[in-house]
Amino acid sequence: MIEIKRCCLNNGLRVIVHEDSSTPLAAVSLVYMVGSRNEDPELTGLAHLFEHLMFRGSESVPDFDDQLQLAGGENNAFTNSDITNYYLTIPAVNIETAFWLESDRMKGLNITEESLSNQKMVVLEEYRQAYLNQPYGDATLLIRPLAYKIHPYRWPTIGKEEHIKKVTLGDIKEFFHSYYAPNNCIMVVAGNVSADDVFRLAEKWFGKIKMRKVHTETLPEEPPQKSARKLTVKRNVPANALYKAWHVCCRRDPSFITLDLLTDILAAGESGRLQRILVREKKLFSSINAYLTGDLDPGLLIIQGRLNNGVSYEKAENELNKIIEEIKSTPVPDEEMEKVKNRFEAEHIMDRVNILGKVLSLSQYEVLGDASLINSEIELYRNVTAGMVSEAAGNYLKKTSCNTLYYISTAAKQL
Amino acid sequence: MKTQKSDRPPVNPINIEFISQPEKIILSNKVPVYFIKGGNEEITKIDFVFRAGFTAEEIPLQSSTTARMLTEGSEHMTASEINHELDYYGITFNAASDRDSTIISAIFLNRHFTKALELLKEIIFSPRFPEDEFKTLMNRRLQWFLINREKVSTIATEYFFESVFGKSHPYGLRLNAEDFSRIKPAHLRNFHSRYYIPQEMTLFVSGKTPTGVIEHLENYVGSIVHYPADRKKSPPLPYGEKKRNLFIPKEGAVQSAIRIGSQTIKRSNPDFSSLLIVNTLLGGYFGSRLMKNLREEKGYTYGISSYLVSLDLAGYLLIATEVGKKYTQKAVKEIFKEIKILQKEPVKDKELEMVKNYMLSDLVRMFDGPFATAESFRLVWESGMDMSYFQTLAQKIKSITPDEIIHIARSYYDTGELYTVIAGPEK
Repeated sequence: MIEIKRCCLNNGLRVIVHEDSSTPLAAVSLVYMVGSRNEDPELTGLAHLFEHLMFRGSESVPDFDDQLQLAGGENNAFTNSDITNYYLTIPAVNIETAFWLESDRMKGLNITEESLSNQKMVVLEEYRQAYLNQPYGDATLLIRPLAYKIHPYRWPTIGKEEHIKKVTLGDIKEFFHSYYAPNNCIMVVAGNVSADDVFRLAEKWFGKIKMRKVHTETLPEEPPQKSARKLTVKRNVPANALYKAWHVCCRRDPSFITLDLLTDILAAGESGRLQRILVREKKLFSSINAYLTGDLDPGLLIIQGRLNNGVSYEKAENELNKIIEEIKSTPVPDEEMEKVKNRFEAEHIMDRVNILGKVLSLSQYEVLGDASLINSEIELYRNVTAGMVSEAAGNYLKKTSCNTLYYISTAAKQL
Repeated sequence: MKTQKSDRPPVNPINIEFISQPEKIILSNKVPVYFIKGGNEEITKIDFVFRAGFTAEEIPLQSSTTARMLTEGSEHMTASEINHELDYYGITFNAASDRDSTIISAIFLNRHFTKALELLKEIIFSPRFPEDEFKTLMNRRLQWFLINREKVSTIATEYFFESVFGKSHPYGLRLNAEDFSRIKPAHLRNFHSRYYIPQEMTLFVSGKTPTGVIEHLENYVGSIVHYPADRKKSPPLPYGEKKRNLFIPKEGAVQSAIRIGSQTIKRSNPDFSSLLIVNTLLGGYFGSRLMKNLREEKGYTYGISSYLVSLDLAGYLLIATEVGKKYTQKAVKEIFKEIKILQKEPVKDKELEMVKNYMLSDLVRMFDGPFATAESFRLVWESGMDMSYFQTLAQKIKSITPDEIIHIARSYYDTGELYTVIAGPEK
């Protein structure tokens, strides 16, 4: 049981605390409810580029990282479609430094043209390193626009090179004022701290920041997909790869947990059905995986695998489809249900073994609505039945709502 | 705009006095067990460490394949039974080897403690190495190898170690696709019978371990009998290749991978702590010289890091980055420039204070939770040392002066001796 205390400042900032005296550290996480979903389609990548600039000078602190490191802190951040999460660990004795720095950059940024152009270069190198210079690295960039035609999930968080290049200081200022408000932020603190101290420090450092009107846009709903879509690309990679993406529910929908167990039945560990049948028994794939994107709006269930040399796409897909159809028609045996639930429980607990893992988990649950969901999640998974799994597979894994990417190797022999 | 100093909360000293020696017991078959107790969750991790890695191999891939094949079939269980049981009990199992050791780790909920031990004993000590599963595994590993070989980062790293440790030394071994078909199950049986034995084994048990843990370990592990085995003689010390600059072309790459470094002292050398501080200043944290110059000022790269690693037979220094292809030569120049500045100009007070506080708190982070603590302990244990190493390091961090930093940078970063390996597109 993870004890949670919370308060909400007058400006709307939510503060959540978990006291843990077993560590000399404290971990702090700030989630701003803004991601690439909030971007202008002609200016994609802005949310992520903005995250980089959050380290390049605020109202009264020109050097965030240096000041944090002086107090022994270490930090990082990530941006996805829905949120931007800044997090740090610091010796608990220096926790106030984290409040000073985080509140200062919530008050306002002080970004120069030079910083902006420098971080554009850094982000473009990140783009090259993570997506362009990796075998299969651009596959996720191809799947999104195939699966989404209207919703902003159709573009990747990293954005387009030409969009990143044209971001101006004006765009940065506008983005800050639209989204970086206390009432659009969740702060979670865990570690060797007392909740009273944290609430006092929160009031001291963040209390004077004014509530702001947060830009709210109604995102267009992705219309139901009526027919299967397919894309074929050729790349200089060693083996053919297959990607399939189906539209599923949003992360907050109760069916999400059922779908999560479904992907575990398919692909968790070496005993998952896809590994057991397609990799080991039939030797069609050298690796295969299934996962959910887990977005706040309806996301995707993705199955991706690399084919063994000499295996045709037709054969690989047929055998994959058989496994999916079987889950729809035949109840998953009790022992297999128990297995994926046990696995979930163990992993859920492992996530909280260190203080940073704990603070990030709590943040994620608060984004979903309530940090204390962390304590009821295992029970929700325990309540899923085999019938619910078959039903979810039937509802979501339809041939007509599937997006398939053939990622063909120019090196492998084609059949 | 200036920093409003009055606003800044005071920085309090960071102490690491909480670091203590782990409890040690010896099982009846003389296997040492270290306990690192702690944490709030009912969860335990066990590491079985065998001091046999690449240097103990007769043929490439022998140690890693032996480890990876443990879950592919045992005396009483098939591969699918083993994998089902591991997943059924929610056991995270990992088996891998590196240059000096094989490490088999399992993390599990305490309520499955005895089941996990029973299963681990079966998997680790009675493997069968069946032919069919072996073939499937080797095909999968070959596919991973072929994919990784497309990455400039992998290419540069492999050629770097080959250059620094020598083509003929296991530390410098660069794998070929043919290596994956040369190895046979008989090699694995041989490696297993030689090294998976009580006299080669040490256990690290961490977490909120349940009561009765010692009795259980005695039952399942203490009962494994000794039998004589001839350990392969350790290889000689590694010697680097003569050629210090290497370029490996990779057609179509949009970035170059740069690896710069050399062999250096091991952890047991009294200068190691000081060298670790110099390495951190240069490229060991986000505020480092290299990160500030190549990323935050010039925008050549998403990131650059330098590492100092101690192995059984040697240590090494490594600076690693991927940069946009048009910045390749400029980046190499800037890296050497930063090394030379460290050798000439005294570090300013503010930077020294920053690196000191960062490193002290990084020590604290190395003990964040029982699993991290166990890993930190294992690191120094492999060098034949104990937790007092961290106290010595902390003392050195607090006391090091700008002059000492210059001295260490001059002694251990001989720019004429450094290897520079680049993988990327042709100019």
